[in-house]
Amino acid sequence: MAEINTGGGGGKHDGGKVRSKKASTRVDMTPMVDLGFLLITFFILATTLSKPSSMTLNVPDKTKQEETEPIKASNVMTVFLGKDNKAYYIFGKAANEDPEVKTVGYGYEFRQALQENVKKVGGEKFVVVIKPTKQSTYKNMVDVLDEMAITKLKRYALVDQLTPDEKKLLKDKVKLDA
Amino acid sequence: MPAVKIKRASSSVDMTAMTDVAFLLLTFFILTAQFRSQDAAAIETPSSISGIKVPDRDIMTIGLGRDGKVYFGIDNAQNRISMLENIAAAKGITFTPNEMKEFSLMSNFGLPINQLKSYLSLPKEQQGKVKQPGIPTDSTGAAPTNELKDWVFNARKANNGLRIALKGDNLAKFPEFKNVLATLQAQNINKFNLITGTEAPPAGWKAD
Repeated sequence: MAEINTGGGGGKHDGGKVRSKKASTRVDMTPMVDLGFLLITFFILATTLSKPSSMTLNVPDKTKQEETEPIKASNVMTVFLGKDNKAYYIFGKAANEDPEVKTVGYGYEFRQALQENVKKVGGEKFVVVIKPTKQSTYKNMVDVLDEMAITKLKRYALVDQLTPDEKKLLKDKVKLDA
Repeated sequence: MPAVKIKRASSSVDMTAMTDVAFLLLTFFILTAQFRSQDAAAIETPSSISGIKVPDRDIMTIGLGRDGKVYFGIDNAQNRISMLENIAAAKGITFTPNEMKEFSLMSNFGLPINQLKSYLSLPKEQQGKVKQPGIPTDSTGAAPTNELKDWVFNARKANNGLRIALKGDNLAKFPEFKNVLATLQAQNINKFNLITGTEAPPAGWKAD
């Protein structure tokens, strides 16, 4: 913006003294503002602000075979991660005992199902077995692990092998080709 | 009688305050932000409530794209050079100092080893256009065709303190993740971080 200098001026007036022209003390800051915002824009575009967070995942050592006590099917909730962002779970029965397969979405529905089942068994004995199928995505797995952190369940396992019984069950009940 | 002159207001606005604000913001951004690195592929991570931040240094990132391609990167340029030297020695390939330098500038990559040399010799503009095919992996994690295994091994040889972060895309299928998992487990790596976005925990939730 051009500044219009209204005052001052050392022109010769009629009969007046000759005065030296006083320089204006105001500096035009506009280009500096332009420069400032240009740099800001550059930094906003070239950098990342928030650092991503991370969740730790510990998997059991495959080289060591530890003898573990078999867990009772009545305390186990097995979650199958299916396609199209759906999860299926069976609770209280093994796959060959003709259990009821329930379908849940991730997030709130799944959390509610978890909490209901924890109440039935009691926090200490409750075990969740997470079985992602071939059609599930990485996001589904992270979501479920996240639900474990939210509900503070400590006893869960990520198992990537489905037994033939479970495959048959999923195929019969929910038409999922695992 | 002379016409009454209206005193005209000055059209200049005092920009000093605006300059102050602009530079204050600028300072803030410079101090808080960190530069975005040039990635081999865009990966959209899922979000979690986890509050653990990804460490700044000594980190090895294994990326898993939505199409199942695997990308690999380690953080320090010096480490990258020694990693490349290790793997070149193991595979019987030699790299020129120029190619080494080029490699040390790449934050991550997704190329089979036999394509790496020709990629590094391309000019910068053309490198960006190359569709990186991803690092070969397989479900057993130990087969000779699994190159991710070699990269992980040689990266740890270059810097033993490296922590492993896995960065998977929302849409990556589970079997692809399983291949990466199997590769790590075959080397007896059982603890790693999954990089996620941040999301707010449900109301009333408290960390232990």
